[in-house]
Amino acid sequence: MSADENLRQRLSSVGRRVRQWLRVQFSPVPLLGWFLAALVAVILEMLVGTPLARLLGMSKFPVLFGFALALAQPVYIPSAIVYVLLIYVLPVALVARLSIRLGNLLAGWLMRTSPLLSVVVHLGLLYGTLHLWAGLSDYRVLVVRLMLIAIMLTLSLNVVNGYMGEFSCSHPGFMALGAYAASLFSVLFFVGNDAFGAPLLPIGLGPFLFPLGLILGGAVAALGALLVAIPSFRTRGDYLAIISLAFMFIIKSLFENLEFLGGARGLSGQPDWASLPVVFAWTILCVWTINNFVRSTVGKALNAVRDGELAADAMTVDTRRTKMVAFFFAAFWAGVAGGLFAHVLRYVNPGTFDLKKLAEVLAMVYLGGLNSVVGSIVGAVSYNLLSEALRPLELYKWIIIPLLFIMVMIFRPTGLIAFREFDVVKLLHPREGTPGHAGPGAVEPQAER
Amino acid sequence: MKKRTVWTGLTLLMLLSMTFVGACGPGVDTIKIGINAPLTGDIPKVGEGTKYAAEMWLEDINAAGGLDVGGTTYKVELFIEDNESKGESAVAANTKLITQDEVLVIVGPQASKQAVPAGGKANELETPMVSPWSTNPDTTLDRPWVFRACFLDPFQGPVVANFVQEEFGYTKAAVLYDIASDYPKGLAEFFKMAWEEAQGAGSVVTFESFTTGDTDFSAQLTKIKESGAEFIFTPQYYNEVALIVQQAHELGWTAPIVGSDSWGSAETVELCGEDCYGLFFSTHYAAAGAVGETKAFIDRYNENHGYVPDDVAALTWDTMGIVQRAIQDCGEITGDIKADRKCVRDALAKITDYDGITGKMTFTEEGDPIKCAVLVRISEAGEFEFYEQVCP
Repeated sequence: MSADENLRQRLSSVGRRVRQWLRVQFSPVPLLGWFLAALVAVILEMLVGTPLARLLGMSKFPVLFGFALALAQPVYIPSAIVYVLLIYVLPVALVARLSIRLGNLLAGWLMRTSPLLSVVVHLGLLYGTLHLWAGLSDYRVLVVRLMLIAIMLTLSLNVVNGYMGEFSCSHPGFMALGAYAASLFSVLFFVGNDAFGAPLLPIGLGPFLFPLGLILGGAVAALGALLVAIPSFRTRGDYLAIISLAFMFIIKSLFENLEFLGGARGLSGQPDWASLPVVFAWTILCVWTINNFVRSTVGKALNAVRDGELAADAMTVDTRRTKMVAFFFAAFWAGVAGGLFAHVLRYVNPGTFDLKKLAEVLAMVYLGGLNSVVGSIVGAVSYNLLSEALRPLELYKWIIIPLLFIMVMIFRPTGLIAFREFDVVKLLHPREGTPGHAGPGAVEPQAER
Repeated sequence: MKKRTVWTGLTLLMLLSMTFVGACGPGVDTIKIGINAPLTGDIPKVGEGTKYAAEMWLEDINAAGGLDVGGTTYKVELFIEDNESKGESAVAANTKLITQDEVLVIVGPQASKQAVPAGGKANELETPMVSPWSTNPDTTLDRPWVFRACFLDPFQGPVVANFVQEEFGYTKAAVLYDIASDYPKGLAEFFKMAWEEAQGAGSVVTFESFTTGDTDFSAQLTKIKESGAEFIFTPQYYNEVALIVQQAHELGWTAPIVGSDSWGSAETVELCGEDCYGLFFSTHYAAAGAVGETKAFIDRYNENHGYVPDDVAALTWDTMGIVQRAIQDCGEITGDIKADRKCVRDALAKITDYDGITGKMTFTEEGDPIKCAVLVRISEAGEFEFYEQVCP
């Protein structure tokens, strides 16, 4: 008994000490330092990834951190672990630790010169890392593109389900509207098919006008949101959920019956315009606008409506308008995400936008955390990576992922990172001060709830 | 403190030593074939049939000591990926098979919902892909690298129409189909086109639809009964077939009900029972009374897995055979994956008179096979009996 207790005590003290040590070592690393470190790791993989993988007995570098390989052939588990340690964990830790001074100096200088420049440099580094990492394999490019689209979807649903506190189920419907509208735009104007005849414009113009198509997709989705919003104004909770669910099915039936859009057969022939930089740019735009939106007066009003509609009304919040704007906004971004999705797959089919899709988006929102931009990003990224990495397990994947969700719901009922503000300026600041020192943009993270 | 260091050292050592266990990876003398199948999701039974058929084929290859290509024997490795019956997962699986596992050729996906987008990826990355079961024209349209092993709806529709005219001499048809599902809808339209071409406009007296998941068809069936139609054509899946046939009989319908290859599942008779006895449908192969290779395949599958294989398994089996033939026709595997893939593609497009268990197939550059359809009668014992063969 006592030996057991003793061991447990020692283990927990070791754990505490390790955490303490990690905090001391790595808390002064600014975001810039992490980004630089990631870039170094990726460049390292480009240079020595394949030879190292060969040395470890693998025929190729492990594409998604070795998950797929290790799950398909367990004999490779140690190789995959060693590879991830040598290529990602150690270099990132080392570079991040060693570049603390330089990183903080640089971050401070950037911030002082112009916050905008700082944002641009950070984004450039992030994209560079992503581009190089994904560039090593087409498979990674596809996974990253789908992941970024998932971020947009999750974030936009979080506006309604998290910030507005309603339970909306119409997101696949909005996505379908956007996907079909954007597909129609590109097929009608630039590709042409049997139903529409020859293209109306030369295809060379296409990539430049593609944003218009996506905005059109978003606008059509927002228009669809009007259809849900009007009857659902007087309802809350379960009733809105049912109305929005009905809307999703209506949209699916609509596209199944629209002959000129291919009906149940689906519409194909979208050009490959949703490349990695395009999807990345739209995702950044989406994160930026939604983050600004939820931190604006309208966003705060939205929170007020969630916490008490009557009270909010009494405090001069125009609840009707607030809800409407939020719904439109969420639908718009879901539509844009749908348009990009259609151009990544280069085929749309009404069957794609069904309950399964809904479950997926809801899972990402609730896994990541309600009322939180960072949470949505974390939720979408982790769900997508996990889902792709565990695919070799086939049926067991559908046992492991739900189990994981149940665990998250038990231990963190509101999701991984819920109710937290995403303050970009604070994030970009250097971390030279003591842990107690707060930057200019510091906000109590748990304050609003 | 010291103890911990020793432990850490030992663990690291073990990890490192284990890494070299994995060093016996596949060499150049291996041919890799990717299988993109819906092992989970809406249609897991389809995925299971695909997997079993492909594994049976591999057993044969292994029993023969490998695949003989131009005098050299190669080991064959199957990479089976689950596409979760989702379009995006099918594309991801294809991309992974092509770029990561570097397979020579891909078999699958089965359903068009996955085969259309996945085929686009295979074509873009210049890897031959053969879908055993997808009937959507878009799967192979303008895609030189994509093939399929089943006949298309524009062929099957007229086959059924001609059969009914010759067999029964009817002139008025009724069609009942699922408007929300790609396959029944397409086939219903092609049948209507063929029937009206032969019997004149308006000879399809009712063209009734429903939506996936409906279980009550009495409204449509009453309408059909009152329209004066002489038979019903319903290109539905087994679960709906049982409901439609039983409800039609309850309403007093006695004329024939004719179906298509989607009837060809063991479940049809199980769910439908005696109501389906004596009905006809067109399909890829007939299980009962099969002879030769077909019988051998069915018996072996039945013995290993405990049920009679449906058309997906049979088509996958044939697809594996076609792929094998194409690789062998290629004559030589150079190890340069790009050149080898091109060689296999060219060989696939030139396959003539491949004698599969679902009939003789000849391929063209179009990617769609020229092959015969079989008309099957459900016997009084509930078996699928060969009735007649129709060739293009």
